[in-house]
Formats: sequence, structure tokens, C-alpha cells
Amino acid sequence: MDILFKVAEWLLPLLYMGLVIDYGVTFFLRIRTHVHNGWIPVIILFHAAFLVVRSIHLGQPPLFNGYEILSVIALSTTAVYYIVELVGHDRRTGLFVFLIVFLAQYTSSVFLANTAIEPTTPAVAGQGWRSLHSLAATFAYTALALAGVYGALHLIGRRNLKRHNIGLLFDRLPPLELLGRTCWYAIIGGLVFMTISVVTGALVYGRGAGGPDAEAMSAKIIAKIVVGSVTWLVCVVAVLGKGVGKWSDSRVCLVAAGGFLTVAILFVASLALS
Amino acid sequence: MNITAIGISHHTAPVGVREAFALPGDLPLRLLRAFKAEDAFEEALVLDTCNRTEVYFVANKCDDPMGYLLGHIARLKSIPAVTDTSAFYHHQGADAVQHMFRVAGALDSQIVGEHQILGQLKGAYRLALEARTTGLLLNKLLHWAFRVGKRAQSETNLGRGSTSIAQAAVELAQQVFASLAGKSVMLVGAGETGALAAKALVRVGAGNVVVANRSLDRARKVAESLRTLQPEDAVALDLEDPSIRCPALLAMLEMLPKDIDRRPAAGEKERFAARAIELPDIPQAIGDVDLVICATGAPDMVLTGKEITKALRRAGRSVLIVDIAVPRDVDPKLDKLSNVFLYNIDDLDRIVSKNIATRELEVPRVEAIIADEFGTFAAWCDSLEVIPTIKILQEYFAEIQQAEIKRYGGKFSDADREQLEQFTRSLCNKILHQPIAFLRSLSDSASLSQRQAAADFIRSAFRLKGRKDKP
Repeated sequence: MDILFKVAEWLLPLLYMGLVIDYGVTFFLRIRTHVHNGWIPVIILFHAAFLVVRSIHLGQPPLFNGYEILSVIALSTTAVYYIVELVGHDRRTGLFVFLIVFLAQYTSSVFLANTAIEPTTPAVAGQGWRSLHSLAATFAYTALALAGVYGALHLIGRRNLKRHNIGLLFDRLPPLELLGRTCWYAIIGGLVFMTISVVTGALVYGRGAGGPDAEAMSAKIIAKIVVGSVTWLVCVVAVLGKGVGKWSDSRVCLVAAGGFLTVAILFVASLALS
Repeated sequence: MNITAIGISHHTAPVGVREAFALPGDLPLRLLRAFKAEDAFEEALVLDTCNRTEVYFVANKCDDPMGYLLGHIARLKSIPAVTDTSAFYHHQGADAVQHMFRVAGALDSQIVGEHQILGQLKGAYRLALEARTTGLLLNKLLHWAFRVGKRAQSETNLGRGSTSIAQAAVELAQQVFASLAGKSVMLVGAGETGALAAKALVRVGAGNVVVANRSLDRARKVAESLRTLQPEDAVALDLEDPSIRCPALLAMLEMLPKDIDRRPAAGEKERFAARAIELPDIPQAIGDVDLVICATGAPDMVLTGKEITKALRRAGRSVLIVDIAVPRDVDPKLDKLSNVFLYNIDDLDRIVSKNIATRELEVPRVEAIIADEFGTFAAWCDSLEVIPTIKILQEYFAEIQQAEIKRYGGKFSDADREQLEQFTRSLCNKILHQPIAFLRSLSDSASLSQRQAAADFIRSAFRLKGRKDKP
């Protein structure tokens, strides 16, 4: 079984690299820009099956280790992007999304191969709350990743248009309005999921505080709290800015892209520290 | 490939010459019917576009097709008979087929990669079908040509990007807005073009139209016509109409959905607003619009000054300003505002130039498609020819003969085997003599379709389809 897991761990980055190449061809050669990619559901199923079988084998969901969470983020980002592609009939942004997905899965695979699988949170009561907390956080990171990618693309497209740059990107990106709107919806999704995660996290760790392992786990928990808080803060700032401050799409996109970058750095740093 | 193409196009003649041979209205159909009645061509198709008039045909009993064709066209159009044929091209066989493939692939068009030609070719085919002047060869050729056109459009970037100022404006709007439906639009200038454009805007779903003009009366007239607009008033816009001096705007409207009925139902509040303002009122109105089209004939700038700047800055949202007026209507300084995208006629021209350059790079890929399709078409044509069929038949019998000698040769001595070979060869030749004589007789007397039918029968009877004769 372990060999099968190893194979799957290395196959997944390769599959995502395949998507990067396929979407790169679409982006640069501008072909099949409105044709759905039939491989995505297959890869989603394979990835999901890998995580489910692994969870059954290890007796725990793949949410208790940062590298596992990265893999789940890669899967959920792919799934959300696939829905976006189905609804929007446009695959011009796929290259950028799958670059992020590939990096997430590659990092996950590299480190999962060298990491002992064990829960990183204290064994406390309320397993259901913990699962909900982790799952909501994963969806929130996914949403922020998408918001970051679409926000960055919006900013790049806008910069090109402002500079009257009729170059490589001019007619390769979707309209600014669409990029801004997608970023905004992702930010809202991120806020909702991260709020759920924060509330359930408070319940879980509130109960667990003072337990026998609490002190040992505190550094990792603090890192998680910092990453989660920054994510939540980014979403709150963007939502308040747009809702109350009447920010333009560009400013929301700037916050989303900057926020995603910050969270990504913090996430990697927390993994490195752990 | 007994196909011929005779025609005149932008490559060989200026418009002043071409227009004399253009076949508007029902002239192509009348020409085809004349061919049919006189039995001059076995098959014929007339393709007439703004850039070309050409006839594809399979000759039957016509010694001078060029003279025959030009004579017919001259009679139809009541023009003097043409003696100088230097402006006409005359392609035969493979050249004619490749020419049609280049036409279908839009490589021969004035604007390389344009999309209209395939539809025009289909229209020409429909006419030929109506006149019953197509047969086996042209039917196949046309379908092959349609495939070339579709592949050129779908497998390459030949047709991508705008190649006119009007389309460039559309492309620009598509980079900013997901759709123009529901957007607020300001027209600066309410001439005939402005009025037409405003009607079209309402027809296709603009949420709010502001018509700004130096003369308020004129602007009001346009706004009033919008409020009382009936669906039947929403004219279909012809972008080629020379009276429309604002093609960029009209092209933008063309990208919007066409099936929206903007007439409010009884008791329903109007879903759109159309109002008129004077030019000095623009600063108060411009903050609420998404798209501004400037096309006045004013000698000075219309959108300029602190008030305009303030209003646009306050708007917050992205505003696309397309200034297609010469001299310019919009102060270039407005482009410095972070939410304003200001493009003028030169910018649109740069978009066009870039797209044309991109299309040029795609030409070799389309040439490859044409070569590929020509190869398969040529193979199909060969299968219908009498002489290749005879050769294949002979080769087939020779193969049988050799196989049988190999099978039974071991039972004979060397001297006997030589006799055996002579005997079997003679037997095969005798068996083949009558069918071959029959096929050869067809090549002198029968029509093309009869020859093709006979060749097809022989190939089917001996299961020779798919075989190629050895060079």
C-alpha cells in the first residue's frame, strides 16, 4: 500500500504539470480557449480517491498536517476552477490557477514523502468540530488562492490596458470586469469559510487548552492562528473596503493578491518551522 | 481533376474593373441557369463577393470557356463584350482546386483570415444546388473546401483578432467589460450616426443612454426617439453602410445580444432611460457612465477640464472612453486617471496592425492544411479516373498471377514454370481485355460522370478501393 501511496504522491504533481502545459498551450497559442478539459474531472477523482484511501489507511482525514492540507487545497482549487470553467466557458486563466495548484501539490508530495504522518493537533474531544474547522480553513485558503490569482491577473490586465500595451497579454486574458468579479466572489467565499474556521477553531482549542499536549503544540497552533487570522483579515479588509469604502475592483484585487502572497509566505514559513 | 476556375479578384484588378463583372442580385442564378440550358458545362458554380467574381466548372463541350463566360456576363449585364482578358485568371486541374481551397481558407481574401468568405462560398453552393449545376466533382470539392475553411478557423489563429478599426473598438471593449448589456453609455455627438447608434444601444440592452450634443434640440430628438422606440424601429445596422460614420460604435453594439425586446410592457416602468444633455452638462453626467463614445466634428476638445476630471475620479468604476474623432474630442490627460481607459483612433489602429501581423504568421499553418486536404482530394479524384483504374486493375491481376505461380510453381520443372508463367499472364490479359477496352472507349466518348461511374463500379467489383496505382 505504501508503494501505491508513493506512486500517487509523485503522479499527482506530474498530472498537474500536464494541466499546466495543456493550459499553457491554450494561453500562448490561443487555441481551444472555450473547450472544456476532459482530464480535469479524471484528475479530481484520482486525487480525491488517493486522499480518501490514504485517510482510511491512516485512520484520520488528510487535514492534520500542513502538507496534507496543501494537497487538499490543490484538489479543492482544481475542483472550484473546474466549476468556474464550466460556468464561464473560458479556460484562459487555467494556466495561472494550475501553476499554483502544481506548486501546492509538488510541495505537498515532496514533504509528505519525508514526513511522518501524525496528528499535529492535540487529541481533544470534539473530533467533528475539528474536522469542520480544518475543512473550512482549507476552503478559505482555496478561496484566497483563487482570489489572489484572479486579482493578480486583473492587476496585470489593467496595467496593460492603462499603458496601451497591445502585447502578449492584450487579448489573452478575460475581461477586467470578469476577473474582478471572480476575485470578489472568491473573497466573499474566503471570508465565510474562514469565519466558520475561526469560530470552530476557538471552540476546539478553547476546550483543548490546558491539556497535557497543549504546551508542546502551542508553536504550531500559534502559526496556524497567525496564518488563519491574516487570511480572515485580508478578506474582511477587502469586503469592508468594497462594501463600505466603495473601493474599485482594482483595489480589492490588490488586497486579494497581496493578501494571498502574504498568506502563502506565512504558510510556507509555518511549515518550515514545524 | 477536370475542374477549371476563371475569375477576377482584387489581386488582378482594381474595383473599377471588378465592378463591371460583379453579379449582384439574381444574376449568379441566371448565369447558372444559362449554363444548364446550353449544356456548356457539366457542373458549374458562381462565387460573387465584393472582392471577386469567379466561376468554377467542369467543362463539357466548350472550347473557349473564357470567351463563353465573359460573353454571357456581358449579355446579362448589358455591357460591351470584353476583348482584354488580362485581368482574369484561369486555373485548371490541381491549380483550380488549390485556388478554391485558398479562397475557402481565406488566404486569398483582401483581409487574410476574414470569416465571411466561408459563408459566401456556402451561399454560392446553395445557388448552384438550386440551379442544379453541381455534380459529383463540385459537390465533393465544395465539401472539401468547407472543411479547409473550418480547419483554418479552428486549428489556427488566422481569423483571430480584429482587422478593422470598428472591430478593434469591439475587441477593446471586450477587454474591459464582460458584456455591454446593462451598461450606461454616453454618446458625445448626436448626428445621424449618433441617432442610429443610440437606437441600436437601446435595442441591445443598454441600461442608460445619455446623448450629449452641442444642440440640445438635436440631442432631445434622439432621446425622444429612444423613449418611443418600437422593436420594429430597431433597424438592423449595416456596418458597410457608408453613411454610418461611426462604425466603431456600431460594431460595439453588434457584439451585444440581438434578441432583447426593449419595449416596456403595459404598465411596466421603462427598463432604460434615455436623456439629452448639452455639452456643458457632461461633467454632471459622465460620472454615471461606463462607456463614452466621442465622435463629434468639433474643432476643439470636448472632454477636458477640471470638472470632467473630478467627475471621472469620483465615479470610481472603470470607464472606457473611445475617441474616434479627428481632431480628438478627449483631453489625453484624462488617461492619467486610474479608472479611465482612454483610447484614440491611433490606438485602435495599432491593435489592427498587431492582429494583421499575427495573422501573417499563421499563413504557413493554413498552407499546410490546404496541402493536406489537397492530397486527400487528389487521391479521391484519382480513384475516379479511368486510366489509373486500368493500371490498378492490371496490377491487381498481376499480383494474383504471381501469387498463384508462387503457390504451384514448385510442382513444375524450371522449363515448365516458364511456360506456366506465360500461360497465366496470357490468361489474365485475355480476361482483362474486354473490361479494359470498355474503360478506354469511355475516355473518348462518355461524359465525366459516366466515366467516373464506370471506374467506380470496376473498383467496387474487384474491391480495389483504397489502392493507389504505382507511379
